[in-house]
Amino acid sequence: MKKFSELDARLKIAKEKANKNSLTSDKKNASSLGRALKLSTEMVAAVFVGSIIGFILDNGFDSKPWLTIIFFFVGAIAGILNVIRSAKLMQKNND
Amino acid sequence: MSTNPMHQFNVHRIGPEITLGNVDISFTNASLFMMISALTIITVFFVGTKRKTIVPTKIQLVTELCYTFVSKMISDTAGSKAKPYFPFIFCLFMFVLFCNMLGMLPYTFTVTSHIIVTFALASVIFIGVTIIGFVNHGVGYLKLFIPSGVPLFLLPLIVIIEIVSYLSRPVSLSVRLFANMMAGHTMLKVFGGFVISLGIIGGWLPLSFTVALTGLEILIAFLQAYVFAILTCIYLNDALNLNH
Repeated sequence: MKKFSELDARLKIAKEKANKNSLTSDKKNASSLGRALKLSTEMVAAVFVGSIIGFILDNGFDSKPWLTIIFFFVGAIAGILNVIRSAKLMQKNND
Repeated sequence: MSTNPMHQFNVHRIGPEITLGNVDISFTNASLFMMISALTIITVFFVGTKRKTIVPTKIQLVTELCYTFVSKMISDTAGSKAKPYFPFIFCLFMFVLFCNMLGMLPYTFTVTSHIIVTFALASVIFIGVTIIGFVNHGVGYLKLFIPSGVPLFLLPLIVIIEIVSYLSRPVSLSVRLFANMMAGHTMLKVFGGFVISLGIIGGWLPLSFTVALTGLEILIAFLQAYVFAILTCIYLNDALNLNH
C-alpha cells in the first residue's frame, strides 16, 4: 500500500510540473510564432483578393483601371480589418 | 543532384500518362507522397488503436494524444456545436501535419509547398463552411456581412469590405501554408548549396545553419498544420454560432 501512496504523490508532483511548463514556456513560444505568421498573410491576402475582384469587374464593365484601383483600397481596408480582428481574438484568448 | 534550390518542387510523372478528356490525371510524385502520408496516418492509427490497454503503449499514447489535442482545440475555439465536424478537422490536421513532416525527410517531396494543393484544401473548407452557415441560419447567414452598430450611410461600403474580407479567407489560409513550406525548404536548399560550394574549410558555418533551420522547419511544419486546423475551427465557429 505504501508504494501506491508514494506513486500517487510522485504523479501529483509530475503533473503539476507538466502543467506549469506547458503554461509558461513551451506553449507560449510556439503559439506566438504562429500568431506572427498568421497576421502577415491576413493583410496580403485581402489586398490580393480585392485587386482580383476589381480586375474582374473592370473586365466586365469595361471601366479599366478605375475599379481595380478602388478595390485595391477596399482590399487594403479589409486586410486591416482582418488583422485587427485576429489580433482582438488573440487578446481574448490570452485573458 | 541539382543545385537549383527550386528543383525540389518539380512535379514529375510516375508511370504512364493518363488523360481524362483534356485533363492530365497521371500519377505524379505529388500524388505518391499524398498517398504515402495518408497510408502512414492510417497505419499509425490502425496499429495504435488495435490493442487498447489501460497503460498505453507508445504508439497508442501518440494516437490518444493526437485525439485529445484536436478535440480540445475544437471545443476551445468552436464550442460543443462543432463536435460533429471532429472527423473532418482531425483528418485535415493529420493530413497537413503528415505531409509537412514527411517533407522534412531527405529525398521526399513536400506536397504542401504547392499552392494548388493548399488552395484546394482551403476552398473545400471555404465552400463547406459557407454551406454549413446557410443550412444552419438560412438567409440570416448574410448578417455576417453586416456588423452591428454601423451607421446606415456607411453600410454599402462596409458590406463590400466585409465581402472582400470573407472572400480573402481561403486565399490567406492557403497562401500561409504554401509560402511557409516553400520558403523554408528553399532556404534549407540554399544553405545546403553553400556547404557544397564553400567546401571543407568554409562549409561548416552554413552546415550549422542548416541544422538549426531544420529544427525551425520542423517546428513550422507542426505550427502551420495547427494554424490551418485552428483557423478552420474559427471559420466553422462563425458559421455555427453567428456572433457578429
